[in-house]
Amino acid sequence: MPEPTITLNVSRYRPPDERVPTSQVYTIPYRPDWVVLDALNYIKDQVDGSLSFRWSCRMGVCGSCGMMINGEAKLTCSVFLRDYHPREILVEPLENFPVIKDLVIDMSDFLDKLKIVKPWIIRETEKPTSEGEYLQTPEEMDAYMGFSACINCLLCYAACPIFGVETDFIGPAALALGYRYNQDSRDEGSNMRWNVINDHHGTWQCTFVGECSVVCPKDVDPAAAIQRLKVDTAKHWIRSVLLPWGKRA
Amino acid sequence: MDDLETHEHDVIVIGAGGAGLRAAIEASTQGVSVGLICKSLLGKAHTVMAEGGVAAALANTDSRDNWQVHFRDTMRGGKMLNNWRMAQIHAQEAPERVNELEEWGALFDRTADGRILQRNFGGHRYPRLAHVGDRTGLEMIRTLQNHGIHQGFEVYMECTVTHLFKDGGRIAGAFAYWRDTGRFVLFRAKAIVLATGGIGKAYTVTSNSWEYTGDGHALAFRTGADLIDMEFVQFHPTGMIWPPSVRGILVTEGVRGEGGVLKNSEGERFMFNYVPEMFQGEYAESEEEAQRWLGGDKSARRPPELLTRDVVSRAIRSENLAGRGSPHGGVYLDIASQQDAEFIKRKLPSMYHQFKQLGDVDITRQPMEIGPTCHYVMGGVRVDAETAHSTVPGLFACGEVAGGMHGANRLGGNSLSDLLVFGRRAGKSAVEYAKSQSSAPEIDADEVAQAEREDLAPFEGRGDENPYALLQDLQKCMETYAGIVRTRADLQQGLEELAGLQQRLARVTVEGTRQYNPGWHYALDLHNMLTVSVAIATAALNREESRGAHSRLDFPDSLPDMEKFNLTLTYRDGQLECRREPRPEMPDELKQLIEVGPGELTADDVAPRFERRRGF
Repeated sequence: MPEPTITLNVSRYRPPDERVPTSQVYTIPYRPDWVVLDALNYIKDQVDGSLSFRWSCRMGVCGSCGMMINGEAKLTCSVFLRDYHPREILVEPLENFPVIKDLVIDMSDFLDKLKIVKPWIIRETEKPTSEGEYLQTPEEMDAYMGFSACINCLLCYAACPIFGVETDFIGPAALALGYRYNQDSRDEGSNMRWNVINDHHGTWQCTFVGECSVVCPKDVDPAAAIQRLKVDTAKHWIRSVLLPWGKRA
Repeated sequence: MDDLETHEHDVIVIGAGGAGLRAAIEASTQGVSVGLICKSLLGKAHTVMAEGGVAAALANTDSRDNWQVHFRDTMRGGKMLNNWRMAQIHAQEAPERVNELEEWGALFDRTADGRILQRNFGGHRYPRLAHVGDRTGLEMIRTLQNHGIHQGFEVYMECTVTHLFKDGGRIAGAFAYWRDTGRFVLFRAKAIVLATGGIGKAYTVTSNSWEYTGDGHALAFRTGADLIDMEFVQFHPTGMIWPPSVRGILVTEGVRGEGGVLKNSEGERFMFNYVPEMFQGEYAESEEEAQRWLGGDKSARRPPELLTRDVVSRAIRSENLAGRGSPHGGVYLDIASQQDAEFIKRKLPSMYHQFKQLGDVDITRQPMEIGPTCHYVMGGVRVDAETAHSTVPGLFACGEVAGGMHGANRLGGNSLSDLLVFGRRAGKSAVEYAKSQSSAPEIDADEVAQAEREDLAPFEGRGDENPYALLQDLQKCMETYAGIVRTRADLQQGLEELAGLQQRLARVTVEGTRQYNPGWHYALDLHNMLTVSVAIATAALNREESRGAHSRLDFPDSLPDMEKFNLTLTYRDGQLECRREPRPEMPDELKQLIEVGPGELTADDVAPRFERRRGF
């Protein structure tokens, strides 16, 4: 019996020679225990050494290998060939981002967006390190822990229809990160984040499509974070008139 | 060189994992210009894959802990070859570095009263690893990244350094290419901090990814810096082994820290049979005692599954040789029989998902099949303990690329604390050094042109060698001849084959353009991997004893005389020199800390024990 095979239809883009992406079809051995990333590495190593894509950890924690698989944003280290075989698999770069080459996108804009939500502990007065850690009960930690597991894989941006048409939108991961710090019992800086979060590129652009939470491989639930930020923003507006420093409710 | 993109900084940090980020943060707070270069995207470095935790004697979970016990555990875990001053600084400063990270926003699992919770890990006498579930590395790198991005250092992402330059004896700059465009870029700097991580990609079965090609080791070595302890490569006992596509992926030691046990194909907890003489009396002698320990009985001793990684990896190998291995050449790691499902999912969520998804195994019900995987290199750039300064003026090294701290075997959790402690020190010292330089070093235009020619050679090649095939052969060579166990004949054979690979490397040819061309990247990385592989095999050949991670079948014992030196490698005039570097005498007060018996060890309660240590 001939060895079973699987076909990957892979998006290629090689500027300046190519002005628009093309696609290339690779038919390779089918192995049920392979993930799509294994197949791409097989192509790169054995078939076509010029195919470019990002990857690293193979275990779903570095967030480098996000791509569109049959039109859905996925980590390629976490989707199996067996879920598609014997059908063809369409592999494209993450939606909504400029493409540098093949499956590699330009995500420099995202790092700037992370910075503007001030993702660090802001305190009225800093405590010297020698005094030890800030106390935080397990319950206080649980309040934001789920929102802290983001691996910056950008699947939520690829799935977000708002970001697709309005690239200035701060976007799901960065807003969830802002919410994570606002919810952290050690933080007193929510005041400093409101102007960004409340900006017209912030929460209010989100129309709660919820696709971001559907594709998140770490169950961060950015959609919920954004909706809660909207509620908090409204509350904050009332409170800010009364309190000079943004104590948490 | 006039049209070459050029950047100038006081301090350049190469590598943006935990050590590089911590170094860059420290350097930039000292008010100098800092550039951070990394070959992958910011925040994706190997630190992100660390799972179990960061070791620091905070004494939150067990008040008996202190830096002295941490120091003792580290030295004994390293089989006494550690640079004792580094081990001391590390144990003393780790708590402050962890608290600092916490203040920058890092999330940790907490005790009921709100302090940082600590978990048990191999070789650590008390629960010592601050952690958040089993994704501590992710939290750590994210915190450093978020803290770092408003510090004002420049980040050069997806930029790979291929050459370092010197002016006279001192460091002057670095030559690199942008991965996306393939264009070259020159960095002028007074001081350079190497934080490039390890070498694991030189082996077939590894928890390391494509970045781990020994770049910093090779750059430093070719620039004239000494390497030390290169014979010591850590094989983590618990990597996934089935299905084949996931072979090597890490299974955190935290599984054992949270109660997981190792069993052979006969269902026996075999680690009770492998307690080395050095650790006799410190580990539980029966399953009953081990169960009491798990239940929180402080009079019970730790289960032998928590022995150091070198010991556990060798035990797994022995069980397989004796015919008691699992079907795919490993053994079983079982937490399902020790903890309830909810506990497992809460404390080890990533492991639960990883096995469920990749291995189709429910770890709350079934045992995991695991086996050793190449994980870490103890050897690295020889540095001064206080300043992280290498033997080349202006060149610093911290984290995995630096040698000395971990001796012959690293304890789990000591890597993340190492990154913080020595990352900070390297950043600080690099600034002090840069400020002490009255003139900016010059870079010779001919050397730059030469670097460019060397990097472009794979495009000019007329040869028939494919870089990927060469990489596979290199990995196979190292796995076969310089792996978990070694012999003189094997190492000699390995060195011979490495020489053959070196000749083939000259014939490597790549296709396509310079834009994001993975074949070209491999071809350049191979130079570093070969340099490092030769260093490992040479040092392994020269240490004729077994110690820590270095096991010689032809010299199975640890020899007291061999404890007196480290092996140092230097590259001079195209030749590799290997010599015995006598170890500096340890002060009596530190000796006492190590020699004290397995009873309670506190700062005021140390007594020397005059017993010959042997049989590591």
